[in-house]
Amino acid sequence: MSVLKINGTEKVFDSGLPATLAALLEQLDVNAETVVAEVDGRIVERSEFEKTELHSGQAIELVRFVPGG
Amino acid sequence: MDSLKIADRVFNSRLLVGTGKFASCRIMAEAIEASGTEIVTVALRRVDIENKDDDMLRAIDRDKYLLLPNTSGARTADEAVRLSRLARAATGINWVKLEVTPDPNYLLPDPVETLKAAEILIKDGFVVLPYINADPVLAKKLEDAGTATVMPLASPIGSNQGLKTRAALEIIIEEANVPVVVDAGLGLPSHAADAMEIGADAVLVNTAIATADDPVKMAQAFKLAVQAGRMAYNSGPEAAGKKAVASSPLTGFLTDE
Repeated sequence: MSVLKINGTEKVFDSGLPATLAALLEQLDVNAETVVAEVDGRIVERSEFEKTELHSGQAIELVRFVPGG
Repeated sequence: MDSLKIADRVFNSRLLVGTGKFASCRIMAEAIEASGTEIVTVALRRVDIENKDDDMLRAIDRDKYLLLPNTSGARTADEAVRLSRLARAATGINWVKLEVTPDPNYLLPDPVETLKAAEILIKDGFVVLPYINADPVLAKKLEDAGTATVMPLASPIGSNQGLKTRAALEIIIEEANVPVVVDAGLGLPSHAADAMEIGADAVLVNTAIATADDPVKMAQAFKLAVQAGRMAYNSGPEAAGKKAVASSPLTGFLTDE
């Protein structure tokens, strides 16, 4: 069974993990252009999304800018 | 208006605008436009996986406005540093409005953690604009550490109380060698003008614009107030006195003396 912890919540992927971070975002329907990611506490630049392979058990943080003062 | 230089960038507007609390994307964009600002602050949060359509900042033209990410939500130096690095990865620019606010009631900034985070971030190449209480000693320490500005609060954030920290702000302004941006608590254009008249280099306004009945008109009012306040400061205002000083001549009025 493949599991990722995404923004603090465990998500089970019954039919296998998305191969890359870019594929994960596509599967979650999140616009990659506005997102920054951390994989196991390491920042992944947007240009690296396609190259970043995912492995079961990783903790993924997806953040983006929101309105604020 | 004379220009404002922060780090290596020059700005024509002395009003920074926060993007929080606007009723809609469209109103936010129109208010930003009306304010004449060149720097807008944004926060960083986890993507809501269940609600992907939460990208309100598409409305902001990034060629026109410098996005200044803040570290709101950080309660410690470490959290603020982490948020700053994420923000840098997102914008590609290294400016950050540093705020560390462990107190949930008044959202007052933690001076110890803020200084600690500033030192780490400056070493890491960031241009740091720290949000602080109006503490002249802390302001000096941050400046010595290499921050690009200091951003003392006028009163608790979102409180609309105006310049409650006036005496301390005046000392900070007198002693600072970096721009002083008065941030938080400015509820009316007159408060912003007040801050500019005592010599603040700029002000940051969010709540007072965003929560007005007509945010676009209020943004314009703040723009004019900041310009008026700066113009007054540059004109060298006379100090207040206790007694009356006649504006008209008091002698020679139809009497022989």
